[in-house]
Amino acid sequence: MNRRNFLSLGLSAVAISSLAPSLLSAKTAEEATTFVKGTAWRAASKTEDAIKAVFGSSATETKKVKIKAPDIAENGAVIPVTVESKLAGSKVAIFQDANPESTVAIFTVPANGIIDYSIRIKMQKTGTVTAVVEAGGKLYSASKEVKVTIGGCGG
Amino acid sequence: MAKTRIKAKEKKGVVTVKALAKHDMLSIQEANRAKKAVNFITMMKAESAGAVVFQMESTQFLSKNPYVKFSFPGKAGDNLTFTWVDLDGKTQSDTVEIK
Repeated sequence: MNRRNFLSLGLSAVAISSLAPSLLSAKTAEEATTFVKGTAWRAASKTEDAIKAVFGSSATETKKVKIKAPDIAENGAVIPVTVESKLAGSKVAIFQDANPESTVAIFTVPANGIIDYSIRIKMQKTGTVTAVVEAGGKLYSASKEVKVTIGGCGG
Repeated sequence: MAKTRIKAKEKKGVVTVKALAKHDMLSIQEANRAKKAVNFITMMKAESAGAVVFQMESTQFLSKNPYVKFSFPGKAGDNLTFTWVDLDGKTQSDTVEIK
């Protein structure tokens, strides 16, 4: 756990330090784009590619992962998504296929952790939200289509 | 940035945490349209009783003032420290006691 913590600190430190010259100042769209394109899982635009970038392989549909999201999102800027699983997973990730890049968030689950995460996401248009859990070297996934009436990225 | 609002409650050995971070979370598209700097939280983590109990790497697709809810085995009386890091390298750390 300590090592994971340290490693991920190192990862974010590397990501941030690669933008070193303007470390403490506001980022331009260009710098942000460079940051996003710099990591495979951040850059992947298709859900399948993103899953491979995060986990290293593709997932299998299963009932062991539950994803909760509204059928219709009144506000595309705030879409509540919940992932639940009784699996002893080590990594959980949420993807969607309505925005320029697919990955939304990656959770690193500590030992004895409980997989029950809720977050609120943005979707530009109607799309499918996919949750993938990695447990014991295998991938499990579940997805849900969310209809978006008003886009979530500011228009 | 402003403090993160955190609620941490224990029930039967499981602590449920709801955290609301204050952050504009401007995606690249939104920032371009609003002509502001891009900035969004890239990582959030929480620690309790000396161990990391929650860790999430995030993208520009989390909503403004990101809300997260998560659970972990823990007990009331312990502290919970919630930290986030954003694209600019800023961090915000807040601690509450688990009820």
